[in-house]
Amino acid sequence: MLPLPWPFDRDYMQYALLAGLVVGACAPLVGGFLVQRRMSLLGDGIGHVAFAGVAAGLLLNIWPVWTALAAAVIAALGIEWLRARGQTSGDLALALFFYGGIAAGAVIASRASAVGKPANVLPFLFGSILTVTPGDAIAVCVIGIAIVATVLIAGQAMLAVVMDEESARVAGLPVDALSAALAVLTAVTVVAAMRVVGLLLVAALLVLPIATARLLAKSFRGTLIFGSAVGVIAVVLGLAAARLWGLAPGGSIVLVAVLAFAVISAVRPMRTPPPSAHDH
Amino acid sequence: MTVGYGHGPVLDRVSLRVNRGEFVALVGPNGSGKSTLLRVLLGLLTPESGDVTLLGEHPGRLSNPGRLGYVPQRARFASDLPATVTEVVATGRLARHGWWRRPRDEDREAVTHAINAVDLGEFKDRRVGELSGGQQQRVMIAKALSSDPELLVLDEPVAGVDAESQRQFRDSVVHLIEQHNGAVLLVSHELGAVADDLDRVVVLKQRVVFDGTPAELRSRGVSLGVHAEDLPLWLEGLD
Ligand SMILES: Nc1ncnc2c1ncn2[C@@H]1O[C@H](COP(=O)(O)OP(=O)(O)O)[C@@H](O)[C@H]1O
Ligand SMILES: [Mg+2]
Repeated sequence: MLPLPWPFDRDYMQYALLAGLVVGACAPLVGGFLVQRRMSLLGDGIGHVAFAGVAAGLLLNIWPVWTALAAAVIAALGIEWLRARGQTSGDLALALFFYGGIAAGAVIASRASAVGKPANVLPFLFGSILTVTPGDAIAVCVIGIAIVATVLIAGQAMLAVVMDEESARVAGLPVDALSAALAVLTAVTVVAAMRVVGLLLVAALLVLPIATARLLAKSFRGTLIFGSAVGVIAVVLGLAAARLWGLAPGGSIVLVAVLAFAVISAVRPMRTPPPSAHDH
Repeated sequence: MTVGYGHGPVLDRVSLRVNRGEFVALVGPNGSGKSTLLRVLLGLLTPESGDVTLLGEHPGRLSNPGRLGYVPQRARFASDLPATVTEVVATGRLARHGWWRRPRDEDREAVTHAINAVDLGEFKDRRVGELSGGQQQRVMIAKALSSDPELLVLDEPVAGVDAESQRQFRDSVVHLIEQHNGAVLLVSHELGAVADDLDRVVVLKQRVVFDGTPAELRSRGVSLGVHAEDLPLWLEGLD
């Protein structure tokens, strides 16, 4: 146990803090690319399918994190495949997975209850950061390292892909592989964030800090770094508020992120609109 | 080559060659297949029949994709894209140094050089969404130039942009041809700014209906420079 000040003086708060900080810092790194690709809700779609995975794990007596991870990765690749084929628009592809996932989750969870297995899905839907174990914290850290490493190595190429797929292809970038990598990164982020804020709120950690960062940063790099900072602040303040007033930690963290966005958009100086002379 | 999207040919037995150091304009009415021709050349689309050779290699499988620069049609940045001019142009350089490698000094120099070539030096740290349409188009051209291409392919890059940007565009393209012996294939209806620099004009309407010098085109009563409306009017009258 580290000699941290209150409210992080207890073991369980420190594991929560560790997992929360990693997720808070890393989720916006993935979210920055999703927002640029107009796929802000991808995390949400994956989260809904991961819920079906959780229910399946409870039914089959498998650690639900594994089944959630499997479901999330399959959903991510499925949505990406539908989007890339261009047959289905991105948001329709998402809707398919959204409702398919939540419906399957409800059906499987009811089946688990029917055969006498405890199907307590609430911790997965709303997070259970205060029960994070050292094992969970390590798993979250591994995911965080994978995210940071991928963004460091492939971030510029992924930016090229989300800006303009066709030119990226002409430039010889492995567009399909990079898109799949982004989808899988989103899936693992969703599963990591599931413990922290719950499946219903995971997309908030991917997207809200980036929405705030975009108001201020002028570079893409700056947007990612600033988004990470907002994510970290939201986790620290949200956890502190949860301990102080006995609130739900997941909801508190996301509310801080919402508040950060509201405050920054209220106080930031208006950007001058781009000059539009000769633009038809 | 013959090319289609499954509903009959869009390009019917088209044959075209662009040589090193050559500046070729490709013109034709809307829907005549210009973008389709570029798509085949860039390896994004496979022809139903015919052969395409790009820089001596198979399109889409260049051993060094940096040899090719491409400015797509209707390239616009979302006004809220939080990326600087330098960041956007640097993504063009990935084609040359490999997407997984860190940029080296020479890469950073090439990016700076490309930004200066389109005269956007003072805007290099600005958000692209804040620039005017003409300036954004120049960012796209700088992005394509940053990989030191031997062939630059542009799909209507100056449509609707201001005269200053057109002149800038002309200077950067001529620089590429004269200083780096690059070839340029330009799809555009607004050839006024480059009329004196073009080596050839190719007119496409499902087939190649004209392939010759601007002077030969002028002898048919179509001038590129003086009467800016001549070319679009003539194209409309083509059968
Ligand atoms: N992706 C596509 N699928 C089906 N038809 C297409 C597609 N792209 C272009 N076309 C058709 O091919 C023809 C040529 O289009 P295009 O090459 O874009 O012409 P241009 O660039 O000269 O205006 C048009 O009739 C257009 O409708
Ligand atoms: Mg076109």
